[in-house]
Amino acid sequence: MSVKIANNLQSGNVVILEGEPVVVIKAVINKSGRNQAVVKVKAKNLLTNRVSEVIFKSDDKLEGVMMEKKDCKYSYFSAPNHVFVDDEFNEYEIDAETISDLEKYIVDGMEEVCEVTFYEERPISVVLPKIIVREVEYTEPVVRGDTSGKISKTAVLKETKHELQVSAFVEIGDKIEIDTETGEFRKRLT
Amino acid sequence: MQNNISRWDIFCTVIDNYGDIGVCWRLARQLADEYDADIRLWVDNLDSFSHLCPTIVTDADVQHLEGMQIRRWRPDFPTVDVADIVIEAFACELPASYVEAMAERKIAPIWINLEYLSAEDWVDDSHLLASPHKHHPLKKHFFFPGFTPTTGGLIRERDLLSVRSAFDESDADKFLAGLGVPPRDGTEIRVSLFCYDNAMLPELLQEWADGPDRIRVLVTPGAPARQVGDWLGEQLLPGTQLCRNKLTVQGLPFLSQSGYDRLLWACDINFVRGEDSFVRAQWAQRPFVWQIYPQTENTHLIKLEAFLTRYLQNFPESETVKRFWQRWNGSGEIGASWRDFVAVRASLELHTKVWVGQLDRTRNLADNLVRFVFGK
Repeated sequence: MSVKIANNLQSGNVVILEGEPVVVIKAVINKSGRNQAVVKVKAKNLLTNRVSEVIFKSDDKLEGVMMEKKDCKYSYFSAPNHVFVDDEFNEYEIDAETISDLEKYIVDGMEEVCEVTFYEERPISVVLPKIIVREVEYTEPVVRGDTSGKISKTAVLKETKHELQVSAFVEIGDKIEIDTETGEFRKRLT
Repeated sequence: MQNNISRWDIFCTVIDNYGDIGVCWRLARQLADEYDADIRLWVDNLDSFSHLCPTIVTDADVQHLEGMQIRRWRPDFPTVDVADIVIEAFACELPASYVEAMAERKIAPIWINLEYLSAEDWVDDSHLLASPHKHHPLKKHFFFPGFTPTTGGLIRERDLLSVRSAFDESDADKFLAGLGVPPRDGTEIRVSLFCYDNAMLPELLQEWADGPDRIRVLVTPGAPARQVGDWLGEQLLPGTQLCRNKLTVQGLPFLSQSGYDRLLWACDINFVRGEDSFVRAQWAQRPFVWQIYPQTENTHLIKLEAFLTRYLQNFPESETVKRFWQRWNGSGEIGASWRDFVAVRASLELHTKVWVGQLDRTRNLADNLVRFVFGK
């Protein structure tokens, strides 16, 4: 067992809620008042498969669960599951709903090594590498002489069509680094 | 209210002098008055409380007031019976021994964390979500005040708006005369001032002094009176009246909550801060200017924007109001934006009445709280 601070929860973490293990599907932090924050968590009970939403103060402590983990690569989608494969070509299916928060980055043939977590030998969650590289399919062109002072703009990723804010100099076809924990653009590679 | 479970413990830690206890005291009184709730209010700082309620004995561990039990919340928390409904205000940490006692009850109490007020959209999705306790079979529900029917609403006593409507200009003069304020001098604009430390205040006072309108500023004690005194170069005590050109400032004594309500009703424009006075300024149905509690990373500006978006929807001069509020909460030249703001105050007052009518169609906070408790 380990301690997880609510503020640090992210998709794929497994914690104990009401005595039962749950896997975090999504954790969103919102600032409330006087520099405090609350964390809204969507989680799936690993015993009942029931999905529910709960909320915590950002500094609440939760009981984490040490789970078996394996490095895998994404293989393909077979509705309703995503399939990951390890070095020995064992396939592991994880239902799309559980990792719905990651689907914006999952593409066929992706090379990044992901970490698959198992609960009683059952694959239950995936954590992507902190940094991934994706191609920009569309973004507004940079206008010469633009003095509006805008330092960011929206870009659409190839394949997943996910939208995120990127620096104003990013162009269509650029490869960019994205931080999967924060969802933020980090830098342009090309 | 069903009386089968009606004992309430409300816990309040005072962080900002009057905001936390202001909200808790209003809520406690409304629950007791209108819902027959048996209230025990735990407060860690009775000195701050005594400003709102001068009859409070600041060194008493237990006292009774307006049908409620007021308890001094000391670090060495006593052994007490756990109430049926437990409210921790603004995520204050309950005493560990009390939480243990909650867990030992046959029927777990209904445990509510009364959160801060915000107009942001995420509040609607977070209102009433449960928070399971790490060790005990207890669940706390997060109760978010707000401006929409899917939040916990705002504190609004049952007769507040009717009493407000009946309060006319002669009542205002009578009330202000009791504070030593002379009858309105022609077109004089009456302003109430309640704010945190605010770097924009000296420039605004100068604008008022040099501007075309006669302005009387009624200054609340504490940070506002201190800052105005600094600008004047002399102390502004309650009852003192000082003039600089077109500006007259007058120090006020500390007012009770009901007295402060009447001050808001009697003034033409109200400067308010934090949460409690911000809500009361809306019920006053007068143009108001909000200084939001400043937070790190400018989080407060997002919250300010969220409120302005809701409040100023369909108001044609929304940009004028927005600009002045933003200046009051930040930086930049405030004089011109004041002149623009004051020029739209008549239409803003009408708009504020419409806004309040809209809020009045949603249930108030105490009502929502009671419905949640008894719907459980």
